[in-house]
Amino acid sequence: MSWISKPNKTTRPIRLMLGLSPLLLPYLVLFCGGAVLTACQSFGVLTPLPHAGGVLDAYTTLLRDASFFASFGFSLWVATASAFLAVAAGAFLAYRVWRLPGRLAPLSLVYKIPLILPHIAVAFLVLIFWSRSGVIASVAHSLGLIREMHEFPNILYSGWGLGMILAYTLKGAPFAMLLALALLARFDIRQIQTAAMLGASGIRIFFTIVLPRLAPALHTGFIILFLYSFGAFDIPYILSESRPGMLSIHVYNIYFKHDLARRPEAMAILTLMFAFAVVFIIAYSRAVSRLENGVRKL
Amino acid sequence: MKRIALTLMILWAALILPVAPAGADDTALQHLPFEQIVEKARGTEVRWYMYGGWAHVNDWVDTHVAAEMKKRYDIRLVRVPMDAGVFVNKLLNEKAAGKQKGNIDLLWINGENFKNAKEAGLLFGPFADTLPNVKKYVDPASVTHDFGYPVEGYEAPYGRAQFVFEYDSAQVTPPADLAGLKAWIMANPGRFTYPQPPDFTGSAFIRQVFYAVTGGHDQYMAGWDADLFAKKAPLLWKWLNEVEPYLWQKGRTYPKDSATLDTLFSRGEVAFGMSYHPSHAQSKIIEGSYPATARTFVLKDGAIFNTHFTAIPFNAPNKAGGMVLANLLISADIQLSKYRPDQWGDFPALDISRLPEADQKRFQDVDLGPATLGSEILGPVAVPEIPSAYLEALEQGWKEHVLDK
Repeated sequence: MSWISKPNKTTRPIRLMLGLSPLLLPYLVLFCGGAVLTACQSFGVLTPLPHAGGVLDAYTTLLRDASFFASFGFSLWVATASAFLAVAAGAFLAYRVWRLPGRLAPLSLVYKIPLILPHIAVAFLVLIFWSRSGVIASVAHSLGLIREMHEFPNILYSGWGLGMILAYTLKGAPFAMLLALALLARFDIRQIQTAAMLGASGIRIFFTIVLPRLAPALHTGFIILFLYSFGAFDIPYILSESRPGMLSIHVYNIYFKHDLARRPEAMAILTLMFAFAVVFIIAYSRAVSRLENGVRKL
Repeated sequence: MKRIALTLMILWAALILPVAPAGADDTALQHLPFEQIVEKARGTEVRWYMYGGWAHVNDWVDTHVAAEMKKRYDIRLVRVPMDAGVFVNKLLNEKAAGKQKGNIDLLWINGENFKNAKEAGLLFGPFADTLPNVKKYVDPASVTHDFGYPVEGYEAPYGRAQFVFEYDSAQVTPPADLAGLKAWIMANPGRFTYPQPPDFTGSAFIRQVFYAVTGGHDQYMAGWDADLFAKKAPLLWKWLNEVEPYLWQKGRTYPKDSATLDTLFSRGEVAFGMSYHPSHAQSKIIEGSYPATARTFVLKDGAIFNTHFTAIPFNAPNKAGGMVLANLLISADIQLSKYRPDQWGDFPALDISRLPEADQKRFQDVDLGPATLGSEILGPVAVPEIPSAYLEALEQGWKEHVLDK
């Protein structure tokens, strides 16, 4: 900021705030405002109908409800499994793509297609391909791999959320690839050549040389993908089963399809999810930095 | 930093505090003769927010109703598709923000959403009893309550629906009563299911079972009785849990909504569909997604019916126009065209015996199609909807005792 001749120490933060205000104001009013309103409504304040019970009623109802914990645990499982698979697949594929000979590189653009597809489209793709009356079952049937269509494994209704995990992984892996490729672009290939000359195997090279380099991108990718699949609504709406339900579907039902008097309950779930997300980010970053401090830097 | 916080708080307060109350215009409108309301509305635009999931209903509104509005009153009708739960929340936000001029003039609403909207003060009224067609053709006793909640003129009747099951007559013989249905489900594992409450249709299905296994609907009509519910509900959970292992996917999962069940039925994965609209199967046959041999049936134990309504939001910019449209919708001509299965097949909300004889004849001459049951079958088994406090308790109880047990 060279045009400010002599920045006064006290005015500088205010100037900075003013300069940022086109960004800060919408953020504070819309995002923080929404978050505050959500929290207020979870305590029964500013609700559409006057709230009769106590301030913490919604929370006690939730915390006494075993099915809430089942949903919470299930959302955690789906988010962890899909984020892990997406990051693992993304890291591996990014490495393979990066090692491709130059003339094949343009072909690798294919990986960007799922990035463009909206989540809901990926959900439908999974539904069309993997249901028992779907494309893969039909192909397996006509190839004679299965005798009857219903012999096809019941992936979408297994009780483990496999359909959702599959969809999130398909959608997340290219994203993790994108992050990993950005780091690989600055990676010196001679490190790998040296390791190979010294007799390291391909697997060893990947795990001891490439992976540590990719770690920062993969951690970021994991956090983003994890939090997205933990709270998102579109893929569960198409692919989730009735039990255990995902939290987002549960909130949607209470918000749109039940008595207005239950609004605090919906908002309490959202508040808890938000609090969990914050705690998760802090705990994850701490764990990662502790891990990295223990590892000798190359 | 303090100053910024203060500014933000003021901004925030300005956003959420309601502004001045509704003007005196609204009260005047409620006492104006209807001819003057029509004059006020002439040449304006009316925006009707309604459920948009049925292509044939959308077509009917966009062509037939819109043309009549233009021809009779020179009013431009704009249909906006939106689920009732969504527009109720939209209005809640507008009310909280003090927005006195919204953009919805008429709503298609009933039941839970009506109760929510009326309790939160989102509706203009009473207006329905001043509409000439309501006065002339509607039996007042038939529209005093909407899911046990008093209507008090805050919504105008517009159609009637009754719960029916659907089956393919080339494949199965339908059971006659609920006991027969249970026996059929257990003898044919995996071939029956119902949409997961709080889906509208699935929720109606469990209410119907509730009536049938607890000794009829009469006992619930007086309003919410916690003791009665605690005593009777376990019978319903028992029935539903007994059939659950024999449902589609062994009852591990339920179709999310009635459209999903329709798909399962049309693909033949399950043997029975269900709908809150008696002509739904006929429309699906015409549309080509159900086989031509699809038929509907009701159980002897009773089939729930309800009336759907139109209502006007508190901040409708064109309330006069909304009233004109609500009145047109309950006219003999529109109700008749709505009744035709090639248009929509929705049952009339007016009392046909109050119509001139020529009009009565026109209603009798409508061919409902082979899949739709006539009033001689639907009438005797019709049972009223349950007060909404029970509905809420049943949906919540279903989650607790059937889904999460």
